[in-house]
Amino acid sequence: MTTTTPGIPPSVAVVAEPAATALAPRRPARRTGQRLGILLYLLPALALVTLFLAVPTLVVIGLSGTEWAGIGVPQWIGLDNYTRLFGDPAFLKAIGNTLLWVLVGVVIHTPLCILVALVIARRPRGWKVFRTVLFLPNIISATSLALLWYFVFHVSLGLLNSALKLVGLESLTRNWLFDPTTALGVTMTPWVVYIGFGMVLFLTQISTIPQEYYEAAQLDGASTLRQDWSITIPLIRRAIALQVLFVVGYALRSFEYPFIMTSGGPADSSITLSLYIYRQMLTANQYGLAMAAGVVTLVIGIVLTAATFWVLRRTER
Amino acid sequence: MTIAGKSFRWAVLGIFTAITLLPLLWLVMSSFKTQADIFANPFGLPSEWRFDNYGAALAAHPLHLYLRNSLGAALLATVLIVVASLMASYALLHRFRLSRATFGFLLFGILLPVNALMTPIFFIVNMMGVYNTVVGLGLVYAGLFFPLGFLIVKTYMDTTPAEIFEAARIDGAGFHSIFLRIAAPLTSPGAITAAIFLMITAFNELLFAAVLTKDTDAQTVQVGVRYFLTTYSANYPLAFAATVIGIAPTVVIYIILSDRIVAAMTAGSLK
Repeated sequence: MTTTTPGIPPSVAVVAEPAATALAPRRPARRTGQRLGILLYLLPALALVTLFLAVPTLVVIGLSGTEWAGIGVPQWIGLDNYTRLFGDPAFLKAIGNTLLWVLVGVVIHTPLCILVALVIARRPRGWKVFRTVLFLPNIISATSLALLWYFVFHVSLGLLNSALKLVGLESLTRNWLFDPTTALGVTMTPWVVYIGFGMVLFLTQISTIPQEYYEAAQLDGASTLRQDWSITIPLIRRAIALQVLFVVGYALRSFEYPFIMTSGGPADSSITLSLYIYRQMLTANQYGLAMAAGVVTLVIGIVLTAATFWVLRRTER
Repeated sequence: MTIAGKSFRWAVLGIFTAITLLPLLWLVMSSFKTQADIFANPFGLPSEWRFDNYGAALAAHPLHLYLRNSLGAALLATVLIVVASLMASYALLHRFRLSRATFGFLLFGILLPVNALMTPIFFIVNMMGVYNTVVGLGLVYAGLFFPLGFLIVKTYMDTTPAEIFEAARIDGAGFHSIFLRIAAPLTSPGAITAAIFLMITAFNELLFAAVLTKDTDAQTVQVGVRYFLTTYSANYPLAFAATVIGIAPTVVIYIILSDRIVAAMTAGSLK
């Protein structure tokens, strides 16, 4: 898909280039035996991608125009599923919430990752320990972490309410998970917990910036803040674009935290697209509708990915 | 560096470290408390250490079966992806018609929100007769995570100097023996990086595990841990202990291998 779009950042484009010419024979694959060998070696990979990525993508598009309860022959109903979806307040809420996930991911989560990366890139005492600790949540299962944060926000035994009581802010305690005004925000916990991933991404890119840039800036009397702003940030814009792609991907896949912390409630206030598809499929057995919702998710993903590349290309000029 | 700048720097590190570690510490402390102790004494050490919370949690649900299923599916997916990636990367070292298109096809899906495909994959798995099996789950993971593993392996294999292959060819090595004796072994660091990443990713997956399984024949730890929430809504110490059991193995492995894992988890994303 987007891997062949022109103008994508080299971090991704590196893979899109035909870098693999190391074994290119002078007369390409002239022997039939070798040609057969190449095909043979590609087969397992082709089979995996065809079966679990390409075919499902075609099926989800094809069957999104049918009414199907899982048994019998799917009935073609054209665009009815889409009309129904966009008439369903829960689906509109799911789209709105998912887009809000993207927005919070880009506007709050990404700057936090950059901030922490900038601090750690200056190598304060113990920076390696901080890097290791802050990355830790990324390797713990999301299910367990979601459970942990469910307990943190729990109304009666939760760490948060206990802490608020301890410091005399009893008036601020509330039923975080079941209050319609806080449920969505609380399920976005991953945007605070997973800053370690973006941080490492930015640290990797920062480490490629030549030290001379900073030395020259120092001679000119530029402050640390000024150096970060004028040297580091512009030079890590590709990592920022990549991070935004991750944010979009994560938001469109966001499932574990809402599923475990609130089940999308109360009254669908924290539902996401993944959760909506899951519900239509396993609770309502509305497979055609679930597939249509899947197609909408794919389209949103493609549009946001293309938009990211477009913005990056404009800033590259 | 000004004093304000310095304190800001330490404040940033302090806040995020606290957000990461304090809930984990609180969880571990609470898992050793009695129900009454959790409510009466949320911050302190347990007034009485209840180690048997763990025994009770392990006895309440077949966690060992969940663990077996998780490891089985993750291992199957990892082996399939690494082998298929090594073979495909080697094939793509040769230029042929459609080699670019093939490469694009194999990476198709790396930016796809795969959750959108849960419905068709559910039916494909049913049609293949592998619903509610570890093999079925492992195969699906192998397909879904293939592009990520492939990217890491291929990037690594492409760094092998062309002269090595040239020399082997002159010495009379054939297509297969160059792969088995040179290309694959020289790519093993990349393959190991991919394997670490894939094991962690597959082990921690929840959505497809929930959709594609229905009982202890194939349910994974991620699916099973959730039962503690519903079953023990009134018995929090057990739920805390179960959550600790779900977190502990990866944390221990991470403490031992942290540098390697951090590199693996972000490999392939940036060159």
